Amino acid sequence: MAEESKKLEPTGASQAGSISEEPRIGVYICDCGGNISDTVRCDQVANALRKLPNVVVSRRYQFMCSDPGQKLIIDDIKENGINRVVVGACSIFLHEQTFRKTVQRAGLNPYLYCHIGLREQNSWVHHTYPIGATTKAIRMMSAGITKARLMKPLEDIHLEAHKHVLVIGGGVAGLRSALSLARSGLQVTLIEKSHFLGGHLAQWEQVFPTEEDARTLLNGLIEDARVQPNLRILTGAEMISAKGYVGNFTICVRQQPRGVAGNFELIDKAIAVCPVEVPDEFNFGMIKRKAIYRSYAGCYPASPVIDREHCTKCGECLKVDKKNSIHLDEPAIEIELKVGAVVIATGFRLYEPFQGEMGYGKLSGVITLPQLERLLSSGRSTENALKWNGHTVRSMAMIHCVGSRQIEGVHAPQPDGKVNDYCSRVCCTATLSTANRIRERFPDINIYDVYQDIRTYGRGHEDYYTKASKNLVTFLRYIGEEIPEVVQAEEGAEYSLIVRVKDHLTWGEEIELPVDLIVLSVGMMLSPVKDLVEMLKVAPGNDRFLLEVHPKLRPVETAVAGVVLAGTAQSPMNIQESCAAAEAAATKVVVLLNRGKVDLEPYIARVDPKRCKGAGECVRVCPQEDAVHLETFIDNGKTLQRAVITAANCNGCGVCVSACPNHAIDVQGWSLNDFNAMVEAITSEIPIPESTS
Amino acid sequence: MKNLHVDTLVIGGGIAGMQSALDLADQGYRVALVEKNPSIGGKMIGLSKVFPTLDCCSCITTPKMSAVAHHENIELLTYSEVEVVSRKKNGFTVQVLKKPLYVKEKDCTGCRSCEQVCPLDVPDNENEFSRTAHRVIYVPFTTAVPQKALIDIDYCLFCGKCVQTCPSNAIDFNQQSQQLEIETRTIILATGYKVTPYNAKKEYGAGKLLNVIDGLMMERLLAPTGPYGRVLRPSDGKQPASIAYVQCAGSRDQTLGVPYCSRVCCMYAIKQAMLLSGTLPMADISIYYMDIRAFGKGYEQFYQSAKAMGIEFIKGKVARITEDENHNPSVRVELIDDSSRVVERKHDIVVLSVGMLPGWNPESLIGVSTAEDGFVQIPNYNIAPTITAQYGIFATGTAIGPMDIVDSIMTASAAAAEVAAFIRSQNRNEMALI
Amino acid sequence: MKLKNKEETRKQTHILGELRQQHGAQVKHAKELLKEQQTVRKTLQSVLQHEPQSVPQLAATTKIAAHVILWHIAAMKKYGVVEEAGMDENREYYLYRLAKEAKS
Repeated sequence: MAEESKKLEPTGASQAGSISEEPRIGVYICDCGGNISDTVRCDQVANALRKLPNVVVSRRYQFMCSDPGQKLIIDDIKENGINRVVVGACSIFLHEQTFRKTVQRAGLNPYLYCHIGLREQNSWVHHTYPIGATTKAIRMMSAGITKARLMKPLEDIHLEAHKHVLVIGGGVAGLRSALSLARSGLQVTLIEKSHFLGGHLAQWEQVFPTEEDARTLLNGLIEDARVQPNLRILTGAEMISAKGYVGNFTICVRQQPRGVAGNFELIDKAIAVCPVEVPDEFNFGMIKRKAIYRSYAGCYPASPVIDREHCTKCGECLKVDKKNSIHLDEPAIEIELKVGAVVIATGFRLYEPFQGEMGYGKLSGVITLPQLERLLSSGRSTENALKWNGHTVRSMAMIHCVGSRQIEGVHAPQPDGKVNDYCSRVCCTATLSTANRIRERFPDINIYDVYQDIRTYGRGHEDYYTKASKNLVTFLRYIGEEIPEVVQAEEGAEYSLIVRVKDHLTWGEEIELPVDLIVLSVGMMLSPVKDLVEMLKVAPGNDRFLLEVHPKLRPVETAVAGVVLAGTAQSPMNIQESCAAAEAAATKVVVLLNRGKVDLEPYIARVDPKRCKGAGECVRVCPQEDAVHLETFIDNGKTLQRAVITAANCNGCGVCVSACPNHAIDVQGWSLNDFNAMVEAITSEIPIPESTS
Repeated sequence: MKNLHVDTLVIGGGIAGMQSALDLADQGYRVALVEKNPSIGGKMIGLSKVFPTLDCCSCITTPKMSAVAHHENIELLTYSEVEVVSRKKNGFTVQVLKKPLYVKEKDCTGCRSCEQVCPLDVPDNENEFSRTAHRVIYVPFTTAVPQKALIDIDYCLFCGKCVQTCPSNAIDFNQQSQQLEIETRTIILATGYKVTPYNAKKEYGAGKLLNVIDGLMMERLLAPTGPYGRVLRPSDGKQPASIAYVQCAGSRDQTLGVPYCSRVCCMYAIKQAMLLSGTLPMADISIYYMDIRAFGKGYEQFYQSAKAMGIEFIKGKVARITEDENHNPSVRVELIDDSSRVVERKHDIVVLSVGMLPGWNPESLIGVSTAEDGFVQIPNYNIAPTITAQYGIFATGTAIGPMDIVDSIMTASAAAAEVAAFIRSQNRNEMALI
Repeated sequence: MKLKNKEETRKQTHILGELRQQHGAQVKHAKELLKEQQTVRKTLQSVLQHEPQSVPQLAATTKIAAHVILWHIAAMKKYGVVEEAGMDENREYYLYRLAKEAKS
């Protein structure tokens, strides 16, 4: 429990947090439930710090962020006249806000609080060296105490926020999020890069676990979105630039026109006469489409589109267009949006196996699970048999984990040098769901399911596994490095393909599966959104998916205030999970923008007018747009220049401080003086006293 | 009778209930949160560390508990249960029974002096699975919110020692249960889960084997605030040298009536194994599994790390657990990856990775239907995962199915979004009628 | 500060007496539990007076079941009556001794 402090009587009756009063510092070391105290000797740290000047209390507690922990601080502020607080605990990202609110509740200015990270920056990286970790903890806390002595009360910067949200992505997550946001009263603009809404959902037939028809589900969402009054949808639209900060983003969107309007009858004729044929991405390249096309019958928006990348402008379509509905040369338009927050719902792309990976691209009869989905739902297989390349499929193998759970050194890496070591979560259930549908529709087809672990984890998912067993799907299990091999059968063999598996359900037997069709359960990867990610300054994680602030506590927020994640842009997930995430993201945005204002931290640059000589180095090095500029003014007949800060655009990075030759600029709340003092403290030895416990 | 008028009544003060309450309160809605235990925090506050980040559970739960307790828009009712729910125009009238603590909340400071002088220890069932004791008058745990004492009246001697000691005169043996009436526009069910009983399978000892425990009990042993302060086995306090996990011990089991997967057990077993290998570096840890379901973000990598650390993963469903005269448990298992030979292996502790059952059945009280798996029925499961079949009633967290902390928090915020939208549209309809 | 005068104390005593009567059967049961507990605790404490012991050692000496002893040790540890005192020679079991304050 907490240790006692030396009690000094509070000095005079000054307002808590006023500049003139003497600092009375409360120091708190958190055990963090063992996360810190397992390595750092917290009692020694608390004892060492008690002796430092201005330290009134120095306590150690198991969970500082808990209610009793916070109460220690509040009671010390109220009863012991503490007016500066330093807590050594876990990451600043986790609990700096928590403790700022705590001191505020006790009547102290929240910026008289200093947070020192003793976990990620100490105990977690030095766990084999407790003595060193303890010494380091004392120095770090000493630096915090030094800072505390110099802290002054500050006020948040309050800014008007635009009650307008940009949702990037028109798939199920984007639509769900946009609807949620619009229903909460915010203005919403949804931009979708392609010309059709629905993302990948439109490409499936049936969704698990409800067995609903995917298109019906999607159309319901689209219809709700369409009629929602404060929701604007722009297709063919991409973000090309982003500036600003939470509450006040300025986003530039470029929208490609469809190039087609109006009369549908003629349009179908135009499609017929178009000479260009390209692989149809909606059907995963299995068939071709024209350069003027619709993604599928019943798509939204229903109007077809000119594929500008492949259109040769031959003019054949114009010949049949009597009503001037086709405009091949329509230029793109640019739209500027002022929004308060951005929802990234850019989805996923499917893993594309390498040429020859399990025969893909080299052997006929090796397809992906999504391709199989298209095959089943395309209506071409309404007959009694499933056909591939003109042949009836009698026997097929479905191989799990293609492009997921990859092992470095065993699987071929992606262009960035990394393999996909993560699980893609949805494929086991998707594979078994499809296997069952095939067994039920085509009872003569034999299915081999080749897996590593069956991950039917979700509500209603295990049923697919049980059912597949009842449907006589044959399961074979391979382990990690022993990747199944696919080879062409000999000339004249009954089945054209062979899958070789070292099956661990039969004690490592090397088994050969003769099949007509091989279906690869490919995994998910992040969509190609490199530009977008750079523009918004969000970070990808190790698995390339976009990174949340904290995977448990703040699963949909990014480190950039005002930018949230919805759906598979963050991590593989199924439709239900994407919708939950999308709504959660919407809630975070609503909480942020509801009041019509945002509060920004007051750590911004300040120019000392007496020292500034208009050198302009700050302007040159500043990485932010419009945070600092030089202004000309007349003083005693002389024309001078001086740096002027635009507070709203400054994020307090301090690069200007290092560049200014006249020491005329500093960051309020984190001054050069503060840093100098903290460095002094870190380099000063403080004796470690005997442990009291 | 005390009356409250709120926009939302959240039933359940675990992580999902707290998150929904906070999200709505932050938007200015009035929220009442009813929790049947004396403290909020649910199951999460009792856990050791979370997967895969290994944050300490208390560290991430207590700030939410604190935020709920201090939020101006949240009325917190602990040690209270919902008794009657009636539908009325534009919402519900809910009768809540606040059980007597026999301690006056406004006077109690949580100093625990009463606890120190109370003469009788009783097995702590609620927090520690009876591994240790609490006094008849006690504060549930160090980070309880609210931090108030209560009396387990069934064991009270009425000796009066606590009355003599209490500096605030807070003890009141005459305290009665209180009836409260809450008028609310919406209800969120965040009633959580309970684990499949570890004594359910006779093949696993039917709960009679002293050193066969379940996952939640092991969490307590691993937690820094646990009953022994370290991992010791229950029969004699020995520091275990060999620990076994039996996966799917209460899920994917037709004989128990739990055919579904409980989703979190693979990960919590791996997490506990990692923590055990940290605190007991010399111990052998084996996990007997059917499938390893490490499906989430960072989970597969966590699994691979566990393998690299020497934790043994053995495919095979444990058929039977027995013990010798010294209570050393043995598992009988077919080693699928080793010629399917059947072996008996001895360990110091066996942990049954039990699954999840719904914490509460809302059918009779609230009329919210449950599905075949016993969890709340969600008609539009994929698109609106938190809307129940009953108008104005929403559900979140493990009440809608087994899930981990991340998904609980996401569905909680999703429920908040649905409630906010619902109330807005109700307001619009009302305006339209005027 | 608790302000209690003789009148209030007498009133409290009277109320407690009535409550004990009212809940007669339950109080009897609780008293039995208490007696049992105090007997076990006394036995354990007297053994631990001399030297630190492990749970199996205490079980062998007192003939009380090991798991019962463990429960009592855990409870006594929680309320500061006993504390850990290192491990036995095989490093399998922790030793317990009376906590310093309790001893004095």
